[in-house]
Amino acid sequence: MDFEFTSDQLAWQAEIREFLAKNVTDALREEIAVYHYDLAGGEVAAFRRKIGQKGWFGLNWPLEFGGLDLGAIHQHMLVTEFEYWGVPGPDLTVTSVAPMIIRNGTAANKAEFLPPIARGELICAVGYSEPNAGTDLASLRTRADLHGDEWVINGSKIWNSMAQRATHEWLCVRTDQNTPQHHGISVIMVPIDAPGIEIRPIIAWSGFRTNEAFFTDVRVPVGNLIGEMNQGWRYITGALDLERGALTNVGDLRRAVDDLIDLAAVVLADGLRPLDSPDVRRKIAQLDADVEIAALMGKHASSLLEDGTIPSVEVSVEKVFSSELRQRIADVGTQIFGIYGVLGAGSGLAPASGAFEKLYRAAPLLRFGAGTNEVLRDVIAQRGHHMPSYRSLEKKKS
Amino acid sequence: MKLIETPEQIQFQQMLSGFFTLNCPTSLVRQMKDPSAAGYPAALWDALAANGLLGLTLPDAVGGQEAGIYELGLFFRQAGRVLCPTLVYSTVLFGVALNKIGSAEQVQRHLRSLVAGELKAAVVCSNPADSNDIEPTVVATRHTDGWELQGRLAFVPQADDLDLLLVMARSQDGSEPSRLLGFLIRPGGSGWSSTAATTISGERRCLVDLSNYPVAAADTVAGPDGTGLVTADVRWLAQTALALQCMEMVGGTEVVLEQTVAYIKNRTQFNRSIASFQAAQHLIANIRIGLDGARLAAAQAVYKLGLNRLADREVAIAKMHCSQAYKMATLDAHQLQGGMGYVLETDLHLWSERAKMTEVQGGTADIAATWLQQALGLTA
Repeated sequence: MDFEFTSDQLAWQAEIREFLAKNVTDALREEIAVYHYDLAGGEVAAFRRKIGQKGWFGLNWPLEFGGLDLGAIHQHMLVTEFEYWGVPGPDLTVTSVAPMIIRNGTAANKAEFLPPIARGELICAVGYSEPNAGTDLASLRTRADLHGDEWVINGSKIWNSMAQRATHEWLCVRTDQNTPQHHGISVIMVPIDAPGIEIRPIIAWSGFRTNEAFFTDVRVPVGNLIGEMNQGWRYITGALDLERGALTNVGDLRRAVDDLIDLAAVVLADGLRPLDSPDVRRKIAQLDADVEIAALMGKHASSLLEDGTIPSVEVSVEKVFSSELRQRIADVGTQIFGIYGVLGAGSGLAPASGAFEKLYRAAPLLRFGAGTNEVLRDVIAQRGHHMPSYRSLEKKKS
Repeated sequence: MKLIETPEQIQFQQMLSGFFTLNCPTSLVRQMKDPSAAGYPAALWDALAANGLLGLTLPDAVGGQEAGIYELGLFFRQAGRVLCPTLVYSTVLFGVALNKIGSAEQVQRHLRSLVAGELKAAVVCSNPADSNDIEPTVVATRHTDGWELQGRLAFVPQADDLDLLLVMARSQDGSEPSRLLGFLIRPGGSGWSSTAATTISGERRCLVDLSNYPVAAADTVAGPDGTGLVTADVRWLAQTALALQCMEMVGGTEVVLEQTVAYIKNRTQFNRSIASFQAAQHLIANIRIGLDGARLAAAQAVYKLGLNRLADREVAIAKMHCSQAYKMATLDAHQLQGGMGYVLETDLHLWSERAKMTEVQGGTADIAATWLQQALGLTA
């Protein structure tokens, strides 16, 4: 057990912070505030290219695939810093898709897809959920049929976030209709500009844009199949654990609580200073302690990964804890500023420009997204403590 | 940074786990609750001494093992699993304290016998309800060539069973500036009176009143240059005692979780194991989430203290989380085990009692949160 950063890790942290200090410009912040990450060819795109030039999208890949061969702890530290600064860093394409290609892809998959991911040019929208296959993902029905040397894809996906700026769909499809649910699933890389794809926006409560994607006789080369046919379930369930580890990084929560502490020290328009209330101080102390716990869970999970263990129980614990913490931070952040707490983002008088009001609307997503917390609690009990699956029990009965 | 236990740390805990399972069964825990029985677990004590476990962090010169505070934390975690009697913790902590602040002569004089299992001891260096408060409640005045102590010590573990007690006091010596001093005192005798009270866990805590209690000069612990103790050293002791208690609480929480899972897996209702119900699984998951947080927070606190640094923030966070995690684990365990976990015949209540004891001892989550507020600069 070693809780202190080594000199190597400290140097890495300094390098990341130096990069961010130099490249996180006012122009970048302003663009993110207005367009989030969606403006094509703007500051965000230029920022991504700079990350690509540093080689940081492939920082934990083997050298032979153009990576830097750094470990999971390095990646964890980088994502933490980027989140703390509120700028786009390695996303799911890098943290989830690329490791799946490295572990399960064919030689041709690796040669074709990894270099552009490393440069920040290939961005995937992850196409898993369907209208009738959400938490129960194995019921998915989008199908791919082999016609000659092409896959022909038909169906639809929902909660297809990032499709508006993605270059590819990382698509989970059924390639065998006659085997049990989990056995007939494959993963195919689909260029987003392929004829037959239609993307329709869905705007969430937080203002976050996600999408529905429709696939009508979409044709892609046979070589776009990742790894082996009908092995997709194994690939993506492994990746979900990686995805959770990346998603639940707490850099942004640390930032939120740090901001909350600064804001609570300021006298409000009605003359009150939130920190003068013992109740406010108690609540903030709890949030600070909880963020530290979540940070430790993230460090622990990345340490396990670095040791070659996929920490499925640990990242489930971390995901549940930190997503519920996010909601608590937003709740406190909208309570302690008196009536000003309810002012909307964009109102001139809102504390922190309404950041906590916005977080309050954003927080529910991470409780049900990327594996709903109820299922993850099942995972903790069943994988972590070998409790019997009630689902298999019910199947046995019927 | 790498939060993985080394193979040596894992092996050490396996060894300790075997030791405690053998030497500290719940029958012993029950016996310690019995007011008519001896307050001293003789067989356990002999085994601890025989295996060199009473002086883990002490120097080789007194027969100690020279291990670090983190390793001592692993000892507390394994001891916490079996509800080791508090007298063991208090004696081990006395060793840590005297080794930290005592003179070379005092270390030699007392710690050799402690390692050999011949000394039962305790240290009082902070408010039992608020570890961050290290202001002594005892005043020392000059008397002949030694000192006299006045004041009350609250909640000393089994004070009348101790051979030696290390207490902190403020000196009041005419015009001389007040100093923070330690005193090695032997319970009983003139100027000593104690009232025992039985706690929820059945263990005894004593209110000790010292009135013109005489201490010889040789039993004064006066710091590195003889002019008084360094406040930071006493604070380090208070924090270390509490961080180690957090490790004890982690061990207790682990066992409650394991035992509850084992019970509900075997308990069948409606023709199915009750462990197959989602509601039961979610309570277990919540216990596990609390445990993981508590385990990491407590480990971080003992790790930092092991580097001989103060850990204001880390200890506060550990105590906030361990207090909640252990207590909630026992209360949800009662819910999951129902009647079978509620009767005195089964052992769950023994952990529930210790969880409540340790939740309050040293400071509740609310008290610990005030330390964190201070560390964060939220309070003046």
